[in-house]
Amino acid sequence: MAREMTQAALAAYVHLERAARRNHKFVLDVALELPAGATVIFGPSGAGKSTLLDCIAGLLKPQRGKITVDERALFDAEAGIDVRPEHRHIGYVFQSLALFPHLTVHDNVTYGLANLPLEQQDQRASEILSAFRIESLRSGKPGELSGGEQQRVALARALVTRPRVLLLDEPMTGLDAELKASIIQDLLAWNARHKIPILYVTHSSDEAAAVRGRIIFLKNGRVTGQTASITPATQAPGR
Amino acid sequence: MEALLLSIRLALTVSAILLVIGVPLAYWLTFLQWPGKFLVEAVVALPLVLPPTVLGFYLLIAMGSHGPLGRFWQRAFGHGLAFTFTGLVIASVLYSLPFAVQPLAASFESVDRKLLDASSVLGAGRLRTFLRVILPLSIPGVISAIVLSFAHTLGEFGVVLMVGGNLAGATRTVSIEIYDRVQSMDYAQANHIALGLLLFSFVVLSIVYGVNRHLGRIWSPWPAK
Repeated sequence: MAREMTQAALAAYVHLERAARRNHKFVLDVALELPAGATVIFGPSGAGKSTLLDCIAGLLKPQRGKITVDERALFDAEAGIDVRPEHRHIGYVFQSLALFPHLTVHDNVTYGLANLPLEQQDQRASEILSAFRIESLRSGKPGELSGGEQQRVALARALVTRPRVLLLDEPMTGLDAELKASIIQDLLAWNARHKIPILYVTHSSDEAAAVRGRIIFLKNGRVTGQTASITPATQAPGR
Repeated sequence: MEALLLSIRLALTVSAILLVIGVPLAYWLTFLQWPGKFLVEAVVALPLVLPPTVLGFYLLIAMGSHGPLGRFWQRAFGHGLAFTFTGLVIASVLYSLPFAVQPLAASFESVDRKLLDASSVLGAGRLRTFLRVILPLSIPGVISAIVLSFAHTLGEFGVVLMVGGNLAGATRTVSIEIYDRVQSMDYAQANHIALGLLLFSFVVLSIVYGVNRHLGRIWSPWPAK
C-alpha cells in the first residue's frame, strides 16, 4: 500500500527488493518529499543511493511505490503507471558521467534536444556552455577533456533540456575540493534561476556541506535521519 | 574467370543480405529478454558446428520440387529454387549467418550500458539510441561481420555443391571450379584459379583491414596516444 504523500515538487515512495550476494536480499524502502532546491542523499556504499535514483529516473522498476513530479505520476504501482525513462523529463548525471565518447561536446549537449530546430539547439547549447564556462570546449571530444571539464559537460548535457528534476549520482568523484566547490557553485547559480529539485547523492561530507541543502541519511536501503536546509534551497551562494 | 566473378557476386549479395538481417537479429539477441532466446542463439550458431553437407542436404530437400520452400517458390515465381543462383544465395545466407551475427552481437554487447541509460534519460527511444550510440560505437564489429561473411561465402564448398550443383555461369563457383579441374587431373588450371582466389582474398582482406585501421584512428572516441 502506497504511503500518503503531501504535495512536493518531487514525491517518491519506492519499495524495491532484489537478490544480493550469498542468498541475501537487498530491500530499498524510502519515502521522500522534496521541494525545489538541492537535497543531499548521504550514505555509505551499498546504502541504495544509486538504486533510488535509478528508480526515480525509470531505469529500475520498484515492486511498490509511487513517484510524482509536480503532481504528475511517473510511476504508480497500484494504478499501473510506469512512464518510460525517455518521457520522464528528468536530468541525470551518472557517477561515470556516461558522456558519449564518439560525439563532440556540442553534440553531447544537444543530444537531448532532438525535437527542437537546429537554431534553437545551438542557442540552448551556447547558453548552457556559457553558464558552466565550457564554451571553448564545444568541438572537443570527452576523451580529450580533464575530469572537471567532463563533469561540467555532463551537467550541461543534463540541464540543457530544462528537466523538472536533476539527479546527481556521486558526480564529483576524483575531483579536488576546490574544483568541486566551483562546479557546485555554478550548479546552484543555475538552479537559483530555474528552481528545480536537485537530488545530490554523495558519501563525501565536504560535498554534502558544499551543496548547502537538506541532508537525508540513507543506510541499508532506509532513511535513518535528515537535517533541515542549511541555506535557502534555491538561493545561490555568493560568488 | 566466370567462376571467380560468380563467387564474388555471390559473396557480395550474401554479405549485403546478412548485414540487413544480422543487425536487427544481433540487436534482438543482445538487448531483448525472452525465455526461449537460447534456442534462437543455438539455431544461429548451428552452421558453426554442422558439417556443410548436412546443412546442404536439408536445404536441398527443402528447396526441391517436393520441399516446402521449393513448392512455395514454384508457385510464387514459376520456377524451382534448387540448382539456381537464388537458391545458392539463400543457402549461403543461412550458412554464413553466425559469421555476421556473432561479431555484431559482441560489438553491441561491449557498448557501456550506462551510455544507453544516458541516451534513454535524455529522451531518445530505442531506434535513436541504436542509430546514434550503439551503431557508431560498433563500427569495428560491423566491418568484421562484413569481412567474415564475404570471406566465408567466397570459400564455401560443401553447401554450394549440395544445393547448387555444378552449372557453369549459374552455380559453378570458384571452389567448385577448382574441385572440377582437380577431378579431371588439370592441376595447372586448378593452380591458376586457386592462386587467383588466394591473391584476391589477400588483397581484399588487406584493403579492408587497412581501411578499418585508418577508420579506427579517425573514428576513435579516444584521443591518440
